[in-house]
Amino acid sequence: MAGNRPIKFRILELCNGGKWNYEIVSQIQKEYGLKGGFHRDSINFDIIELASGGMLKDVEVKVDEEGVYKKGFLLHKYELTDFGKVRAADACLMYV
Amino acid sequence: MDLKALKKQEHQKRVKYGYMWAFFCAVLWGMWYIPGTTVWVLNPFDEMYGEIAAGSGDGMALVIVAVLITAFNALTVILALTVWNGVLGKFGEMKRTVKEFHPCSKWFFLASIFGGPMAILGSFIAMGFVGGAFAAVAALMYPVIGSILAQKWYGEKISKRAYLGIAFIIAGGITIFGGGLLTELGSGNVAWIGYLGGLMAAAGWGIEGAIAGKGLDIAEPDVGLTLRFLGENIIWWIIIVPILAIIGFPMFKYAFMAFEPLTLLVLVFAGITFGFCYVTWYKSFPLIGVGRGQGIGNLYGLFAVIFIFLFFGDVPSWTILLGGALCLGGSSIMFSEDTGEMESLRGD
Repeated sequence: MAGNRPIKFRILELCNGGKWNYEIVSQIQKEYGLKGGFHRDSINFDIIELASGGMLKDVEVKVDEEGVYKKGFLLHKYELTDFGKVRAADACLMYV
Repeated sequence: MDLKALKKQEHQKRVKYGYMWAFFCAVLWGMWYIPGTTVWVLNPFDEMYGEIAAGSGDGMALVIVAVLITAFNALTVILALTVWNGVLGKFGEMKRTVKEFHPCSKWFFLASIFGGPMAILGSFIAMGFVGGAFAAVAALMYPVIGSILAQKWYGEKISKRAYLGIAFIIAGGITIFGGGLLTELGSGNVAWIGYLGGLMAAAGWGIEGAIAGKGLDIAEPDVGLTLRFLGENIIWWIIIVPILAIIGFPMFKYAFMAFEPLTLLVLVFAGITFGFCYVTWYKSFPLIGVGRGQGIGNLYGLFAVIFIFLFFGDVPSWTILLGGALCLGGSSIMFSEDTGEMESLRGD
């Protein structure tokens, strides 16, 4: 049921197996029909919020050489933490 | 540029923005006490106070007027936040979030019970009975309640450093409350209910924070805060104000009279400062950590005292200044601790 639940729920789902921030952002933009740079940054901020809340952890970093997200900036790979799994389960995300 | 330098640059950028948001929060929160204090002497609230005081006594009149003022505060806050969400294009997300009753909206509505009828009403009562500076500084005690609750509830550990901070804040609180009380006991005229209001503000915001955190960490804060104020509006306008009207207080008569330019202007000013202090508060947390965000945000006590001095020329009594300084010292001790969140933010 993509696009029907709050964005952060979907981000938690997507990060279950570990995912790069640009992959998450572009998938969310597609599923929720959110276009443009403003929504892109706002979704990325959601990811940062989840990470700072301890639900996601930053597992890998690389420089965006080709400009898949923002050329010259850092790309982060995130994974769901144990706490993130508990919170996702509270939100009835069943496959976690 | 190499990876390490880029990481450092990204971290510095985040921290810079985080402190900026937290600082805005402190300024806005401090400013809120200006309309909050002013509104008491404006009509229709002044007239309403007179009418109810004549029939039911001063104490009752103050509480009932405070209810109406708090209800209007909630109304203008939700207006400000609705505009904000509209600008950000977040109505879709709001619809998605409100439907998630179990994980999200339940917590927001529960938080609004403690935030509204307890903390904000208590603040207005303290402003009306004792004064703006007292109301602002008394609420500085909220982190004590918040951290004790978090410890009991989610088993969060309180470090020695945090205990030291709590001790400072409690000493500050005793100075603020005790100082005012002693002076008033001497004059034989104690505004007990105002002091109760100060305690309600501190306890209410502490409890609200602990509860709201549960829903906010998996929702969009802009949306979550709007829903929390939606809850508060329901409590005031659908439950409490009508009940008071049925009991026989002239709630709606004066509510309709609030639509005069000056009163509306002051109320809108209250809504904007209060609404955006919440928004900026939550924006700072992911960037600098909850601890630092709250620590900087707590400077609102200082700003409130400064603004009240600039606008009304009120010099607070030395007990409020000393107590406020102790509370600020305590929150810096408590919040300058390195948190786990900071680690994950740095990405090292």
